[in-house]
Amino acid sequence: MDIQELKNLFGECDIYDEKIVIKSRMHDALVYVVSEYSFDILKSITAVDWGKDVGVELIYRLYSTINEEDFCISIISQGDAESVVDIFKSAQADENEIYDLFGIKFVNNKNLKRLYLPESWEGYPLRKDYVQTDMRIAWNENENDI
Amino acid sequence: MKTRTTFKLNLGPQHPSTHGVLRLLLELDGEKIISCEPDVGYLHRGMEKMAENMTYIQYLPTVDRIDYLAGFFYSYLLVDLVEKAMDVKLSEKVKIIRVMLLELNRIASHLLWVGAFLMDLGAVSPFFYAMREREMILRYFERLTGQRMMYNYFVFGGVRHDIDFLEDIEEIIKILPSKIDDYERIITENPIFVSRTKRKGIITPDMAKNYSITGVNLRASGIDYDLRQNSELYQGFEFETVILNDCDAWSRYKARILEMRESIKIVEQALDKIKSFDALRQILINPLTLKLPQREYYNEIEAPRGLASCYIMSDGSEIPYRLKWRTGSYYSVNLLRELLVGNYINDAIAIAGSLDIILPEVDK
Repeated sequence: MDIQELKNLFGECDIYDEKIVIKSRMHDALVYVVSEYSFDILKSITAVDWGKDVGVELIYRLYSTINEEDFCISIISQGDAESVVDIFKSAQADENEIYDLFGIKFVNNKNLKRLYLPESWEGYPLRKDYVQTDMRIAWNENENDI
Repeated sequence: MKTRTTFKLNLGPQHPSTHGVLRLLLELDGEKIISCEPDVGYLHRGMEKMAENMTYIQYLPTVDRIDYLAGFFYSYLLVDLVEKAMDVKLSEKVKIIRVMLLELNRIASHLLWVGAFLMDLGAVSPFFYAMREREMILRYFERLTGQRMMYNYFVFGGVRHDIDFLEDIEEIIKILPSKIDDYERIITENPIFVSRTKRKGIITPDMAKNYSITGVNLRASGIDYDLRQNSELYQGFEFETVILNDCDAWSRYKARILEMRESIKIVEQALDKIKSFDALRQILINPLTLKLPQREYYNEIEAPRGLASCYIMSDGSEIPYRLKWRTGSYYSVNLLRELLVGNYINDAIAIAGSLDIILPEVDK
């Protein structure tokens, strides 16, 4: 994987130990690495909430059965992201889960709905600012209004 | 002119062959499936949210529940990830013990699948045979760890106590190959079984990769991807990767049978190695002061139902900032959207069953 090439195509990107963080155009980046480096399996999409000021990081893990190598690319999302279901159909599962637990809206994914939680559930539990106020479900020590 | 009308049918959630609580919303035209919408979440326990409120040692006993038929795999993932993060050198014996228990667990899991799959198809007796052999393995686990399903035996830095009762394993690997021969005699060439599984539920290699199918299901579609072959843990063990090219439900059955035979080989080799070691000496990590350095960690293993991985983002404190599990079954359920379409309703159970879906793993 030539990092310099990605930099030229997608502008600024940060490189960590095993991960490349790009600023935008995740869909184009995946199309590019799939066609150029034949990454054919999207192992998973992981979401990490970095708080309100930064956003939610989406980490895409790819694998190539031809070259037997892994690749990891991520993007910071501010509430919506590009859907990659048209490239990898497995992304439907991941995007639905992330929508359910993080509230990220994937543009162009028409099948998004609550997955684990009921339709009437309010809020997105894996976000850091989520507080469960229903006393039947969770006990909040800071609240004195019993 | 008559218009064709379709109707909707709920398969599950309380159906014996959904292996847990899975609801498939099928749209049918007569007996033909036009669309399929899986509905999951009946078993959701919030494993990932729980992790964000617990220390590592508090969380460790709960991870066996992610897949209660193969609990060792998930506790191995967490334990191994923490050991790598803390840069702990494991003793050779601990590694061999882990490999042996993982492979025994894989056999037990595949045995249950063989029984349950045949039961889905209407054959009742193989279920009892498979459960009988699985019982030997579970008895051994119970003797060793005190538990039949949720073992909690791997701990940070080693195992809870030294391995024992090796004569039980000797008996298991002596008996098992002949029992698997018996299954093959009853099942593999049985005309009813063959007619219900051959050329049914074909997953082409491209489709399997596109839907992120891993594990036995991927290898039964002719793609050589087995994490064990290049992993550090399985170094020094000789076994073959089972690859079949028929892509149908029958080859997924056959692949699991062959994989059990390979696992027996690994257990045999591990047993020989364990006998050459002295009593176990290990230095465990003190769980009360355990803090992972601030970084992200990723770790994966070949579980019975496909690639399983654990991701931890640590902020340097004693609880994980974010923990994510990737499980094989979740992607198999997603595949049902496309795989069942165009088939008849009586094949739906055979096809869904052949993927070896287990619902606690899907719902996490």
